[in-house]
Amino acid sequence: MNDMQWTPIGSQPLPPPLPSTGVDFTGNRSEFRKLVTKGAMLELVTFGFYRFWLVTDIRRHLWANTAVDGDAAEYTGRAKELLVGFLFALAILVPIYLAYFLIGIEFERWQGFASVPLFIGFYAFGQFAIFRARRYRLTRTVWRGVRFWMDGSGWAYAFRAMAWGLLVFLTLGLALPWREAALERYKMQHTHYGDLRGDFEGDGWTFFKRGWWLWLLSPIALLIFPLAPFFYAEFKAREWRWWLDGIRIGGVSLSSNLPHDAFYGLYWKVIGWWTLLSMAFSAYLGGSALLVVALSGVPADRVFGSDNAAKSIPMVVVMVIGYFALALAINIVMRVYLQRDLWAKVLETVKVHNIAAAADVRGSGQLASALGEGFADGLDVAGF
Amino acid sequence: MSELSTEASAQSVKPTIFFDGVSSRRRQVKLMLGDVLEIVEEGGAPVRWAYADIRRADSPGGVLRLACTSAPSLARLEIRDAVLAADLTARCLRLDEHQTSRRGVAKIVGWSVAAAVSIVCVVLFGVPLAADRLAPLVPKPVERRIGDAAEVQMKTIFGRNTCEDPAGKAAFTKLVNRLRDAAGLDDDSMTAGVLPTSVPNAFALPGGKVFVLKGLLDKAESPDELAGILAHELGHLKHHDNMRGLIYNGGTSFLIGLLFGDVTGSSAVIFASRTLVEASYSREAETAADTFAIEVMHKLGRSPKPAFELMFRITGKEGGSTLTTILASHPLTEDRLARMTREDRPASGPPLLTDKEWKALKGVCGSGKI
Repeated sequence: MNDMQWTPIGSQPLPPPLPSTGVDFTGNRSEFRKLVTKGAMLELVTFGFYRFWLVTDIRRHLWANTAVDGDAAEYTGRAKELLVGFLFALAILVPIYLAYFLIGIEFERWQGFASVPLFIGFYAFGQFAIFRARRYRLTRTVWRGVRFWMDGSGWAYAFRAMAWGLLVFLTLGLALPWREAALERYKMQHTHYGDLRGDFEGDGWTFFKRGWWLWLLSPIALLIFPLAPFFYAEFKAREWRWWLDGIRIGGVSLSSNLPHDAFYGLYWKVIGWWTLLSMAFSAYLGGSALLVVALSGVPADRVFGSDNAAKSIPMVVVMVIGYFALALAINIVMRVYLQRDLWAKVLETVKVHNIAAAADVRGSGQLASALGEGFADGLDVAGF
Repeated sequence: MSELSTEASAQSVKPTIFFDGVSSRRRQVKLMLGDVLEIVEEGGAPVRWAYADIRRADSPGGVLRLACTSAPSLARLEIRDAVLAADLTARCLRLDEHQTSRRGVAKIVGWSVAAAVSIVCVVLFGVPLAADRLAPLVPKPVERRIGDAAEVQMKTIFGRNTCEDPAGKAAFTKLVNRLRDAAGLDDDSMTAGVLPTSVPNAFALPGGKVFVLKGLLDKAESPDELAGILAHELGHLKHHDNMRGLIYNGGTSFLIGLLFGDVTGSSAVIFASRTLVEASYSREAETAADTFAIEVMHKLGRSPKPAFELMFRITGKEGGSTLTTILASHPLTEDRLARMTREDRPASGPPLLTDKEWKALKGVCGSGKI
């Protein structure tokens, strides 16, 4: 019934280069904090199975509150897809692990530790998973009733990633900017919004010029530990800005004026929380040890003695609970600062140019399965 | 608004936007709230959505975003006017039917707990049982292949070649054969050797391979000390401990990894719980191998105690905090020594090696150079 509203795009006069439009992030911070806190608790009582629902909720929150040209995006992925993808991935990974084990034995018979290079196979598989996971996320990203989608091959991507990875290894990291540019070009050229095709115009040389001195100075950061977060923050900010500047979709382009010191505060806040939580954890352990000694009436050196295995069980339980609480608290901190705050900080610097080119895009592309996310989860290479 | 209103007359200043799910065109529309929802774009045919088909979609604050199950899946209606949104919400009775409810969350929790309990039960009871039952069934050639691989690895670490001094080797073979006969191991392919490294240790590999490292030989003061430790390693072979451990470790790593996923953001918990579970399992195996060593030594008419005195000389007193006790893969040396002291009996059989043979064995790797 809507067919008649198809007006060819050419019939409308193209407006002269428009002033660029911004990207707004309107997410409520305390709402997000509550979301991840509740999610972390549920993750604890479900032994981690809730992660599929939590990750989906986080994405739904971030996507829905991100508006380009006044219209908010939407994440249409659902947790059940992730769960099914994970189970499928397991079914595929288990025989692969077994085969890896058996081949490994044959290699070891031939030469000690000859099976170590087989790990490289898993790394390649991880790259494949990263590509496929990106495809899943992208096909669940909807803006103005039209979805993003991806073509291209995960294995072709994995091959490129491996070849470039070897070069980065051989050049001690100097080739990293060119690797990122090449991989991003592959990903973006296979990215589509409706019938618009993406591209990536950032080049390795530009990135290199912005960050080479960080590479040169990185040994210092290893020696003087407190400098490391600054270095990392500098690197990440430069990387983000370079990446955003290079993104093109059809005639639409992005630019960013993210300052080089944008992430200093974020990283130091995370480190501060980390220190605070570790101190609280130590205090908790010390306190509960004293409590166990006081309650059981056994002298301290006997509680920890070898002949008291039964009496040490409460202490172990207390430690395990404390450890989980610590892990969850750190998880909440990381998600609030390194996902939500970083997202907001980056978005407020982004400008979108010539958005009119996306004013009448015809929807296309098929939904991709969540198998890639499952692999990424199973191999522990999960992205954002 | 009244029940009778069939037309939302108060089309507010805030525009209502419609995306038809086919194109990204932003269409400013008016809504007619009749028997069905009519979405009217100026100059276009109206789009009709039945109220029962309308569902809420994610949106930022201040916007009501709707989808329709009978329309293209990405068609979206965005209402920014609060009054209009409230009026429409009241008519759409199944608006939030597809969202995860409190009951849905409870269901997730319930199933997860059930899954976790079953995994824990399998780790605690199922995998050990499977390992005990399967390990003896592993075909000898397979076991030997795994052993070959492990041997190559060990030799890469501890030196390429076994010590080859003929007199020493003859003495070593004699000692091993006497122990093997007493142990009732009928493995015809059993191999044993001394590796030239200063690390004081001994180990058994799948497929009947026993290796003594020269460091242990140097610290040993009598044949009985060495024999007890060899008997312990033969115990591992007799009980198929390598294969059991392999099956057990593989199984628990996989299951515990499955259970925790990435809840802690790292694999620390996986590592910790694996260490705990596997250490207790391996302690059991070590205790069983000790029992076996006691039996063999008694059968030969020698005391098992010297071997554990040697062990105590190497490790020193181990008992420390609770943690080391729980995480240790072997029983503590002092506990083992205490057990052996109880089992101590005066020698009733002939010495296992003559003084001359013992001297030759001590020099099997040549004079001091490693």
